[in-house]
Amino acid sequence: MTIHPPAATPPPLSPTHQLRVKLFAGLAAAASTRLLELPWGGGTAAELKAAVAAAVPAAAALVSSSGVAVGNQYIAPDATIPPEADVALIPPVSGG
Amino acid sequence: MPASSPRLLRGAINGQRLLAEVASNAAGANVLFLGTTRGVTDGVATQALEYEAHEPMAVAALETLRNEAMERFGLLGCRIEHRLGVVAVGEASVAIATSAAHRREAFAAAEWLMEKIKANVPIWKCELGPDGGRGWVHPDAMPGGFP
Repeated sequence: MTIHPPAATPPPLSPTHQLRVKLFAGLAAAASTRLLELPWGGGTAAELKAAVAAAVPAAAALVSSSGVAVGNQYIAPDATIPPEADVALIPPVSGG
Repeated sequence: MPASSPRLLRGAINGQRLLAEVASNAAGANVLFLGTTRGVTDGVATQALEYEAHEPMAVAALETLRNEAMERFGLLGCRIEHRLGVVAVGEASVAIATSAAHRREAFAAAEWLMEKIKANVPIWKCELGPDGGRGWVHPDAMPGGFP
């Protein structure tokens, strides 16, 4: 007989959990990547922008004027971003 | 996805095909707008433009705008295409075809759509200069604001 122990409770997310943030256009050029990995223990969209600006100082002004999208929908600055979210930073657009 | 849905494409835009797709016997006006790469802007030469997009969000935003234009202007047909990648001088980067019973609505819808695309749709252009220089174009703020 095999005894299956109950599934272990997952440990709480550490502050070093990595959040992947999609970058575009001038943001991607400044960061030299289209997918920025940041340590993330949870926080708001505004806090994420501050974290990206700190990680990529050359893009701080552009980050400041960017929107945050989770799961292809814009979210408000005070909305919370969970650690596993599909996040994108949307700089001011210039299509057409 | 319906055949009338907006598309992002990496090949050339075929404006005549878009016009044919919006045509109907009920239409008395058929408008085709093509936005093309300009060779000189404010005295500075452009070799080409390069476009990229947040593709799922851009297609969804274009679809929303198309549906709103159909209703707002009483259109009979509307097609939107936008290029991605490098677009040489003189080539079309964006196309809007509209059809309506009368010209006023067809013209107005095409202009309204272009304004909305430039203000809200997550697509970006990079200026490629003749000396190999590159520069992404970003207004100081989101032109249409964030929702």
